[in-house]
Formats: sequence, structure tokens, C-alpha cells
Amino acid sequence: MSEKKEVLHVGIDLGTSRSSISASNGQRHVIESYVGWPLDMVAKRVLKKPVLIGREALENRSMLDLHRPLEEGLIKDGSEKDEAAVRELLRHLLGLVGVDPDNRNGMPVRAVVGVPAEALRVNKQQVRKALQNAVDNLLIVSEPFAVAYGIEALLHTMIIDSGAGTTDFCVMNGRLPTEEDQRTLPQAGDFIDEALMRLIRGRYPEAKFSIHMVREWKEAGSFVGPPKNPVVVTAPVNGKPTQLDISQEMRQACESILPPMVESMLDLLSRVQPEFQEKVRNNIVLSGGTGLIRGLGPRLEAELQVVGGGKVRVVKDPIFVGSDGGLAIAIDAPDSDWERLSA
Amino acid sequence: MANVDRVKRQLLRDLVQENVDLVEGRLPRTLRKGRYWPLAVRLLAVAVLSVALLGSSRLIALWLIPQQTEPPHAATARSPRVPAKVAAVSLPETPLLTSAPQPVDAAVFPLAVHTVVIDAGHGGGSTGTRTPQGTLEKDLTLDIAQRLQRLLVQQSFQVVMTRDADRDVSLKERGALANRIGADIFVSIHLNWIENRRSGGLETYYMGPTDDPYLTRLAASENRESGYSLADMRRLLDRIYAGVRQEKSRKLAETVQGALFQSLGKLSPEIQSRGVKTAPFIVLLTTDMPAILAEVSSLSNEEEARLLTKPLYRQYIAEALAKGIRAYAGGAEETTPEAVAAARNTAARKESR
Ligand SMILES: Nc1ncnc2c1ncn2[C@@H]1O[C@H](COP(=O)(O)OP(=O)(O)OP(=O)(O)O)[C@@H](O)[C@H]1O
Ligand SMILES: [Mg+2]
Ligand SMILES: [Zn+2]
Repeated sequence: MSEKKEVLHVGIDLGTSRSSISASNGQRHVIESYVGWPLDMVAKRVLKKPVLIGREALENRSMLDLHRPLEEGLIKDGSEKDEAAVRELLRHLLGLVGVDPDNRNGMPVRAVVGVPAEALRVNKQQVRKALQNAVDNLLIVSEPFAVAYGIEALLHTMIIDSGAGTTDFCVMNGRLPTEEDQRTLPQAGDFIDEALMRLIRGRYPEAKFSIHMVREWKEAGSFVGPPKNPVVVTAPVNGKPTQLDISQEMRQACESILPPMVESMLDLLSRVQPEFQEKVRNNIVLSGGTGLIRGLGPRLEAELQVVGGGKVRVVKDPIFVGSDGGLAIAIDAPDSDWERLSA
Repeated sequence: MANVDRVKRQLLRDLVQENVDLVEGRLPRTLRKGRYWPLAVRLLAVAVLSVALLGSSRLIALWLIPQQTEPPHAATARSPRVPAKVAAVSLPETPLLTSAPQPVDAAVFPLAVHTVVIDAGHGGGSTGTRTPQGTLEKDLTLDIAQRLQRLLVQQSFQVVMTRDADRDVSLKERGALANRIGADIFVSIHLNWIENRRSGGLETYYMGPTDDPYLTRLAASENRESGYSLADMRRLLDRIYAGVRQEKSRKLAETVQGALFQSLGKLSPEIQSRGVKTAPFIVLLTTDMPAILAEVSSLSNEEEARLLTKPLYRQYIAEALAKGIRAYAGGAEETTPEAVAAARNTAARKESR
């Protein structure tokens, strides 16, 4: 591969809550998947930008028409705004690694973009459209496949990628995953946030807090199974900062995703060819932000006992696994293949 | 690790092919079932199709377009068709197979069923049921109907919608439309409301009489804006016959119910199949083709109502409906017989309680 001409390869993971990019020039970036347009002329003048992305958008949300275009892991079709938002996200990510999507005179760019496992053709076409002219060649992959490729878990493995909008399951058996090898559940991080919010409201009706606070509490204290330490947070009650014990609620909310997760995991396993089932059971990889819930990996492992036991490995630093996997695919794909995939 | 490299090479090749298929508007191989059909079977399929579709303009397209007789790998590599670059740039707004000069894959082309009428329940002044949070049945049915429309069009069906916006369309008009255009099947989408039953779940109806008071109530509420007089109703009821159409409707209902249960059961393990039933819904009575009414989830069930607010869940419903329709159209066993049996059994068990 030494005589490869100068080309920039990038891998992009488009997530519900976070999107990341890894490039062959060594740059790696992650942003929150928010896009906002100034609501009016005043906002435009104050913000001095036609569009804001990521944390900056979130922080200025009162002045913005704010979008999180990949809720549920799907481009919310029907809305041109969400399509435009995806385009802005992608262009912004490319900008972060030094690609000017409007001035494509520089190095040719080959991009691999990961989309949710069950994203439909409509959505893949939308991603394609969004990247038209911004890159030279484009390859769309399913997100769990990119993860599997990145960690070389390609044969007799199961990837469980639990993010914000969806939990994606994918069995890798050496070929491209088909419909039967994959599942997507709407139970993931956002689902837990909503459940936790409801539960805390129920117990402390006077307390004031937002979904963003709830998410932060969750990320700091999430767990399933028997509690180790109490989870105590601070929120205003009748105007006074008050300590609230939310251990029970935290556990219940986090465990609410367990039944469908276990069901899907076992169901997919049962469809693996019998001679490979044990191998797959012992090669389960849990990735994504929601995979970081304390005790989740061991709990899934325990649930495997009924079918003869197995191993669940948790990806400790899940932020870039998807985009790194995409980058690996981009670099490995032969030039002749890339040439068939003009954007 | 030569082995890993070999696997990687194969995967990359397949991945690229899948993307090329996508660009060129073909159904990706990972979504196709039968893989590669022998040439003879393909030719036979084309012949059968031509008979089935005689007179249709699509027929001409079918004959003119060279059928794919090799694995797509080889076929696209030296295909005389538009090169990928041009295809990508000239993709229409909605990149669908209907736009004439695109290749039609005979393996996915539905036999016998050509035109599907999708009926999004309610609309306009008729809101249907609603949740305490204010989610309206009419909005959800339209969204699901539109998702289903996209899926079916991609799969080369001709699709006609009884409504494409939030507007009033009488039940009479809905059936009349389907009859006028000579639709092959009619699929009406509704959401259930089950009083005093926290259970919720899915059920699919085809035309027929019922003596279940619950169903009579349900039919009455779905029939409210029918635009028919009582005398008309009687006459229509006379049309309930145990003919071929009813048998086909039953088959369609079973296939769709099976697909719905199989697919939604994975998302929400608690969901119940309430089975396939008959009831005198007007939309089913007035149509001349096999017709079903699917209650694709229940707004009365808190969990289902919450899931229904999520696009992914609605997409799942649409996909399951499409899968059921495709399976019925192809007479294929895409929905496993077990799923159909399971859908039937849970219903039977309920009924016997
Ligand atoms: N320690 C933690 N415990 C529980 N949840 C966490 C933790 N850290 C992050 N999360 C959650 O993980 C989710 C983000 O994960 P990730 O970045 O994998 O999602 P995404 O890729 O944006 O979403 P998706 O894959 O669904 O499109 C958020 O819901 C976040 O709150
Ligand atoms: Mg993700
Ligand atoms: Zn209804």
C-alpha cells in the first residue's frame, strides 16, 4: 500500500447525542449532535453566525431553532430542517479535520460514514445527499459493523452498541450482516433519561431539574444490580438547594432497558448456527455510552447462564471506536473499490 | 492473521457492492432473500409477470431492461448501465424504483399484487383515539402510512394513499377510490383503544360478521364517519360472503399480523398479539379487493403510546406491514409459519379465557 497517492481518509460516526470523526492525518474530534439556526435577525446579529453546532448550539439554545437531527438514530424524515442539520453536522466535522467542504481543490477526501444498523435506504440516501460535493468518495456502513471492524471482532462475535437513541445488536459471522443478523431497540440512553426524570418527579414533586441535569446525574451514578453507594444529587426544592437520594430511581431507570436487551441478545444468539453459538456467546462486545452503566456488562453475562454461559467485554473508551473503525475501513478499501463510489 | 485479512477483504468487497447497489437504486443484497435465482426461473418470473401486468406501462420497462442474470458483483462491474458517478448525481429527489428507466429486480418484484391502497385511518375532523398526553390517532396513522408508502414504492409496488394530509375523507370515498383504481389490496391503518384492558397489543381484521360486543363497539366507532345510511349498511352487510376475496383477505390479515407481531415483539417483549379477527368495518365492506384493517398498536396502553411517539417504533411498524404485504404478494414464507401460528395461538388463548 506504499504507492497510494495523497488522499485524506476519514471515518465518521453519526450519533444521536455525539458525533465523531477520525482522519488519516491524525486528527480526531467529537461534538455533540446539536445544530441550531438563529431564530431571528437579532439572534443572528448577536451570534454572528448563520448556524451553530455542538455544545455552542446547546449553550445558546434560547436564541436558536435547535435540532438534534438523529433522534432515534434515524434522520427524522419529513423534516427538511433535520436533513439540513445532518448536512451541517457532517460539514462541521469535516472542517474540524481540515477539509473545506466548499472548496474542494485540496486533497481528495474519502469518507466512511457509520449509520444505525437498521437505518433504511431512505436514510442512507439522505446521508449520501447530505455529503454530495463535500467529499469525493463515500461509503456508508452500519455503525455496529464499523465498531466490529475497528476492533477486529469480525468472526463469531456479537456487538451490542448502546448509545443515546438506540441499542444496536449485530452478529458478525465473517460476512456483511444481513437483516437477520441485526436488531435495533429504541431503549437506550435517552430512554433511561426519560424514565429517571419521571421517577424522580414522582418521588420529589417539588424539586426543580431539567433533563440535562438528569443526564449528568445518570452519567455520574448509573448502575444496575445491588447498589454500592447511595446516589445523592443536589437540586433546588422550593428554591433551596437540597440533597436528594435517587439510588432507587437510578437503579430502576437503568434496569428498565434490561428486559428488551436480554431478550434481543438471546434471540439473536438462538439464530446463530448451532456450531458457532458458543463462540459467539464468549465474544460479546458491549460498546457505546450506555454500555458504561456500572454492572451492565456483568449483568448481561449473568443472563447468558441460561444458555450455557458466555463473556461480555465492555469497551472502556467508546467515543471513537465507531469513527476509528470507519477510518480503518476507509484505509483498507482498495483504490479500485473507492473509484466505484463517487459522492 | 492471514485469516482476518481474508475476511476483511471479503467484507470490504461486499460492503462496496452494497453501496454501489444503493447508489444504483437496487435493493441491497443483504435485504434480499432468495439470493441468485437461476436464469430459467427468472425468465419464467418475467413471463408470469407480463401476463399479470398486461397493459401496464411497467411491463414495457420490464421487457426493455435487461434482467440481471448474474451475481451483482460481476453484473455491475461491466454493466453498460449508467456509471456510478452519473447515477449518484442524477438521483431523483426521492430515490425510488418507480422512476421509469431504473432496473427492476425481478426477484423483488411482487407477483400478482401490483397496486396497494394504503388507508391512513381518520384525518381532519375525525381525530380517532387520543392519549391523555394528546397524541392523536390520525397523526400517527398518517405517519405510519407514509413510511409504509416509501417502503413499498422502493419495492416496486404501485401505491395509492387514501389521504396524504390531515384532511377528512369519508370511509365511503376510501373504499370507492380503491375500487375505482382497481387496487389489488387495501390496507387500512388504525390504532387501538382498549377500554379496561391494560393489555394493549396488535390485531388485524378482515371483513366478516361478529357477535363480540367489544368488536361491535369498535366497528361502530371506526365506522362513525362512514357517509352511509342504515339501509346502505344493510345492503353492504349482505356482501359478506365466504368467497375467494374473504379467503384472500384472511390470508393477508394473517401474514400481516404475523409480521407485526414478530417484529414488534422484539422491540417490546410485553406486546401481545390479539390475533386475526373479523368485524364489519365499512372500509372492508365496500372494497372489492382483499382488504384488511390493522390496529397496529394500542394508544390505551401507556408503554405502547410512549413508543408510538418514537419515529423508530413507527418505522418498525411500517416495515413489518411492508414485510407482511411483500410476503403475501410473493406467496413467500418471509414471515415464518411459526410466527403466524404464534399470532393465532395467543389470540386463541385470550379468546378462551
Ligand atoms: N457512564 C455512563 N453511564 C450511563 N450512561 C452514559 C454514561 N456515559 C455516557 N452515557 C450515555 O451514553 C449515551 C451516549 O452514548 P453514545 O455516544 O454511544 O451515543 P450516540 O452514538 O450519540 O447515540 P446512538 O448510537 O444511539 O446514535 C448518552 O445517553 C449518555 O447519557
Ligand atoms: Mg452511536
Ligand atoms: Zn381508528
